[in-house]
Amino acid sequence: MIDLKKEAEILAKLRDVVVDMDYEGVSSACKEAIETGIPAYRAVSEGMAKGMEIVGEKYESSEYFLAELIMAGEIMKKGMKVLQPYFRSDEVRKKGKVVIGTVRRDLHDIGKNIFSSLLSAAGFEVMDFGVDVPAEKFVDAVRQYDPDIVAMSALLSTTMPEMENVIKALEDAKFREKVKVIIGGAPITREYAKKIGADFAAKNAVEGVNICNSWMSR
Amino acid sequence: MSSRERVILTLNHEEPDRVPLDLGASFVTGMHVSSVYALRQALKLDPPGTPVKVIEPFQMLGEIKPDLCEALEVDIIGLNSKTTMFGFKNEDWKPWKLFDGTPLLVPGKMNTQPDSHGNVLMYPQGDHSVPPCALMPRDGFYFDALDRQQPIDWRELNVEDNLEEFGDISQEELLHFKDEADRLYKKTDKAVFASFGGTSFGDIALVPGLHLREPRGVRGVKEWYMCHVMRPDYILNVCDRQCEIALANLEKIHKVVGDKITAVFVSGTDFGTQRGPVLSNDSYRKLYKPFHSRVNKWIHEHTSWKTFIHSCGSIESLLKDFIEAGFEILNPVQTSARNMDPSLLKRKYGDGITFWGGGVDTQKTLPFDGSDQVRQQVHQRIRIFAPEGGFVFNTIHNVQPGVPVENLLTLYKAVKDFGSYPIR
Repeated sequence: MIDLKKEAEILAKLRDVVVDMDYEGVSSACKEAIETGIPAYRAVSEGMAKGMEIVGEKYESSEYFLAELIMAGEIMKKGMKVLQPYFRSDEVRKKGKVVIGTVRRDLHDIGKNIFSSLLSAAGFEVMDFGVDVPAEKFVDAVRQYDPDIVAMSALLSTTMPEMENVIKALEDAKFREKVKVIIGGAPITREYAKKIGADFAAKNAVEGVNICNSWMSR
Repeated sequence: MSSRERVILTLNHEEPDRVPLDLGASFVTGMHVSSVYALRQALKLDPPGTPVKVIEPFQMLGEIKPDLCEALEVDIIGLNSKTTMFGFKNEDWKPWKLFDGTPLLVPGKMNTQPDSHGNVLMYPQGDHSVPPCALMPRDGFYFDALDRQQPIDWRELNVEDNLEEFGDISQEELLHFKDEADRLYKKTDKAVFASFGGTSFGDIALVPGLHLREPRGVRGVKEWYMCHVMRPDYILNVCDRQCEIALANLEKIHKVVGDKITAVFVSGTDFGTQRGPVLSNDSYRKLYKPFHSRVNKWIHEHTSWKTFIHSCGSIESLLKDFIEAGFEILNPVQTSARNMDPSLLKRKYGDGITFWGGGVDTQKTLPFDGSDQVRQQVHQRIRIFAPEGGFVFNTIHNVQPGVPVENLLTLYKAVKDFGSYPIR
């Protein structure tokens, strides 16, 4: 039987290692959670993920910046490596499934990786196909994994048009109505999303997660 | 009025006869080689199929030759190192082709190789015996750095590992700068804009060390940003040593080039993203401002050069600090980024800094809008930035590939049509 006070302390520690950017401390905090008997999924959802939420708020209020977002993502990843073997499939209730990638001819992934980390922290199952992802791969992923959301990133105005190709390919495969499409990246605007038939253009990763959450709660 | 006089006047916040124009004087004010080819063809400067030289292979920027400068009335000429970011020199030109078929000439040691997916791999110093350092995706237009970060022990970083690329300037390089400065100053009437290198602190384009065969230290983009949080002391130590080396080199360079230089490229570090600064004012003041101040102070005390900072993105909140650090010129003036409204920038900072850029948006307007919108935007930007000087016309960063040539022709015609003082 877990001591509730001890459990609350450890969950707070897991939250704080993310908020306080404690890269060296995250592994031991996760190990302590497991050794104390806290289920792995709760260590994430009630510990580290809460930390990510706070990091997101601090980023929105310009207290944290790009470096802190990247750090928080890396801390989550490090923690998840410790916790992964302890997840029980019957405990993990994923909010939704997201297929994500940077579009064809584009190799930039910092923003996409931050978004992936925030989505995982928020309880989504994320299938990240990396960079330089052609339209047909997005379509194959939808066919194979039946996601709720397709997320695309592009940094360059020269690769942005690939997003339209992906949406067209989803339409041709009759998959477009099955998924929500969210796009992001430096040149991406709400007007562009409307023009190409995407459901939303997120101005940053934090806003993107909020939108995905709202879609899943409907 | 000569081009040089025109530029000097505007940098001193006085109105010349017309707004000076930069195209190609630096590697942040240039044009992708495929657009240079298209423009040269449209202006009938070359027979069809004439290749264009790639003078900066990372971004695949094309040479802006004197005939194109004359056709467009460009006022500024660049003095750059002969050595590219990949460590091979701009010499021994050989034919190459972009995926879109544009015929090019590239440096002889640009020994690329396709991978199994049809991407193009670039090697440091053209050396195939080491892993590739950059990749151009299949059907792509430029290279991106590959991640060559070795595993890091954050407690055991060695400053020397991130200083491998900074050292005493070679005699060969000094002679190159001396001869070129002399030639450009005496044989042209253009303002000379020099990029000597060595003074860009924390420049994420340079952190990967693309010319290094086996880079050590903190070399990944992600890891460099993490360093700002985990080991800011390391960044300070690297910058401090880099600054010492840079100042010693600047002294040697100034001895051979004197005051033939109008402006010098000091910093290319991007401190902004599309929607906000990369770091807080406090972090900038701790980690970078001291070194910017030292370099700019030296330049102002010993030379007549004007100091230039390039920073993409939303950096309005940092501008007061940039000016205090001694920067006199801001580029590229990314007005598409948040809080970078042109009128606000001119009103708030126009007395303290020259805007070298901001002329037309290259993310949307130039590539995707019609020529009428391009002309309209150029006119609007000149009306906002040009009064009382302090404005050099340039597109917002390099012109990208795929821009309709009609838009390019309209752009440069608009600069001529609307750029005469008094501005209407």
